[in-house]
Amino acid sequence: MKARPALSIQISGASNMGVSEGLSSSLPAISTPLEDTYRKLPGTQQISAKRELMGRPLVRATYSSSNSGVVGHIFSSSSGFSSDLHYSSSSPHEKHSRNAPFISQAPTNGAASPLLQSSNRMMPQSMMSSQYYKENSGSWCTDPGFPDFPISTPVQSCQVESTNCSGIMTSEDLCKSNEWQEWAEQLITDDDALASDWNELLVVDNVMDMEPKVAKPCTSTTLSEQKPQVHQRPPSLSVASRSVVNSSSSANNAPAKPRMRWTPELHEAFVEAVNQLGGSERATPKGVLKIMKVEGLTIYHVKSHLQKYRTARYRPESSEGSLERKSTSTEDLSSLDLKAGMGITEALRLQMEVQKRLHEQLEIQRNLQLRIEEQGRYLQMMFEKQKSGLDKLKASPSSSENPQELPAKGEPEASQTNHVNSGTDTANVKSTLERSSEEMGGEQEAPKTTETGVSKSSSPPSKRPRIE
Amino acid sequence: MKFGKRLKQQIEETLPAWRDKFLSYKELKKLVRLISSAESPEFGKADAGAEFMYLLNNEIDKFNAFFMEQEEDFIIRHKELQQRIKRVIDTWGPGGTKPSEAEYKDEMAKVRKDMVDFHGEMVLLVNYSNINYTGLAKILKKYDKRTGGLLRLPFIQKVLQQPFFVTDLVSKLVKECENTIDQVFPVEVEAEIVKEQREAITVAGKGIFRNTVAALLSMQEIRRGSSTFGHFSLPPLDLPDSDLIHSFQLNSPITTV
Repeated sequence: MKARPALSIQISGASNMGVSEGLSSSLPAISTPLEDTYRKLPGTQQISAKRELMGRPLVRATYSSSNSGVVGHIFSSSSGFSSDLHYSSSSPHEKHSRNAPFISQAPTNGAASPLLQSSNRMMPQSMMSSQYYKENSGSWCTDPGFPDFPISTPVQSCQVESTNCSGIMTSEDLCKSNEWQEWAEQLITDDDALASDWNELLVVDNVMDMEPKVAKPCTSTTLSEQKPQVHQRPPSLSVASRSVVNSSSSANNAPAKPRMRWTPELHEAFVEAVNQLGGSERATPKGVLKIMKVEGLTIYHVKSHLQKYRTARYRPESSEGSLERKSTSTEDLSSLDLKAGMGITEALRLQMEVQKRLHEQLEIQRNLQLRIEEQGRYLQMMFEKQKSGLDKLKASPSSSENPQELPAKGEPEASQTNHVNSGTDTANVKSTLERSSEEMGGEQEAPKTTETGVSKSSSPPSKRPRIE
Repeated sequence: MKFGKRLKQQIEETLPAWRDKFLSYKELKKLVRLISSAESPEFGKADAGAEFMYLLNNEIDKFNAFFMEQEEDFIIRHKELQQRIKRVIDTWGPGGTKPSEAEYKDEMAKVRKDMVDFHGEMVLLVNYSNINYTGLAKILKKYDKRTGGLLRLPFIQKVLQQPFFVTDLVSKLVKECENTIDQVFPVEVEAEIVKEQREAITVAGKGIFRNTVAALLSMQEIRRGSSTFGHFSLPPLDLPDSDLIHSFQLNSPITTV
């Protein structure tokens, strides 16, 4: 990570942590009042709130400067760890809101981070477009000229007022004129969003995808370009983004950031629709959306996808990737030449071979990793059962009955995991655990049979790290 | 720091557009160290854990966003390539509308190169996913070790379900790409010649190929065996033909602006 501007980080209660040194956030100090408000926001996703926190002081400081100036400032200063942004705004007190969603802000952050990290990239543009969605409360509009960071005040008040989407919705309409709305969008979190699958969420940064690749510096002009688009956003967007366009589901709280996972089938339908409308140039997102009739698909998804599609079609040479490819293609050629004077064909074959090899190894590695974690899960489960069994033992006088249940429970789990199958046949829980952990230890070449020790002594969970 | 170094190398050598999308491993490690050493009453373990999780979540978001975007691009490009091949065959191929062997060969060569690079890029994305996952797993392990926390297991379970880790679709596209290439560009028997030419082959430039080789070498290094080998460690890499890989000498990276 590059050097960051010396904006002091101040996390209430965390200042002594000295984390700022490690992560030198590029964000200014967070004001406490913000944090308090922030904390109160029930459904709010931490990130968004955090953004706010970070954004506000910054905004204040640069309020007078032009948008582009601010933006430039932000960008150049945020050439680091995107987490810095969030990190500095977070405070130990907020942990309760933060801990909940694993993925939480998902897309929001995802979209935001690039912004922070690259000063010369599309980020700003992506941010803009990604903000698309998140309509913000009307109060946001009061603070125009927000640079990259999530608009603090407006969002704050918005969210404080109501965390349910209806409240947010209306405010969205009001905010349409806000050029920096996009940033704010990320902060918005609907109630619904809490329940929705974040996978369905699409970060509209795709919209500006092509441009960024040209490494266009973010300028206010670009920003203003985004503005008109914002108006289009239908209030029902976040509701629509709810439905699962993609089957995977995970804890997801970031409603405003619909990030959708496209599939080949979906793309097929898309191409069909586009062809029906007369080709990629003539097709309009609205039309495509209508024809596709896919639930949960929003016009923003379609829009960005259409843009990518167009680029891919009309720039076949360089469409195989970002513009970096253009610059590297010459290098590729020279590297091909350098391949011991082999013909192009041969060089390509070699390249394919290496690539295939890498892919193969990656798949193997991934499977191994999955199995390892599965095993860890199993161990954990066994441990917990053992523990609960022992507790029961202590609790009830007729202790002989209890242990018997556990092996039975353990078995189905065991059968799922290859490694531990062999060690879980015994009726006695303790010996089961001991044996399985011993066998696993043997197979794994890791003498970590602490499980045994644990089962014997029912040591507290804190000993578990050893098993890991 | 072995992993950290490897990661850094990979990041340096990766496609420029990807540079800032990787895990901020070093920073997180620093944080873990700070957390473990600065356990003040104001900043309790729970707080540190929360902070840490927050950052990790951010990283994950970053991965997911990038990954899904790339995936979307790949889906589009994959289809386009297929169509392009068809077009070339239908236009300049033997039975096409304006058969021309020269044109056909020419265009096919271009398509082939593009396909191979496309294949490589997809594989690199899978590699991206994997290396970030590995980094996460490592940092979590470090965290738990240093602070005695129990963050790792539940957290990693969630990570496993993240879009960026579920690389099935990209893998599928990779295989389809391989099939297409094998079909359209059948490999003649050149095994002998290839073996002869497997002397030191310098891979210059920042192309896809170079990246793939770097990734493979990295992976091998990372998995060579660690001092903290345990239950959750991966075994050393089993690379048949590792001499092939090692025969690729990577030039010092050309620093790109």
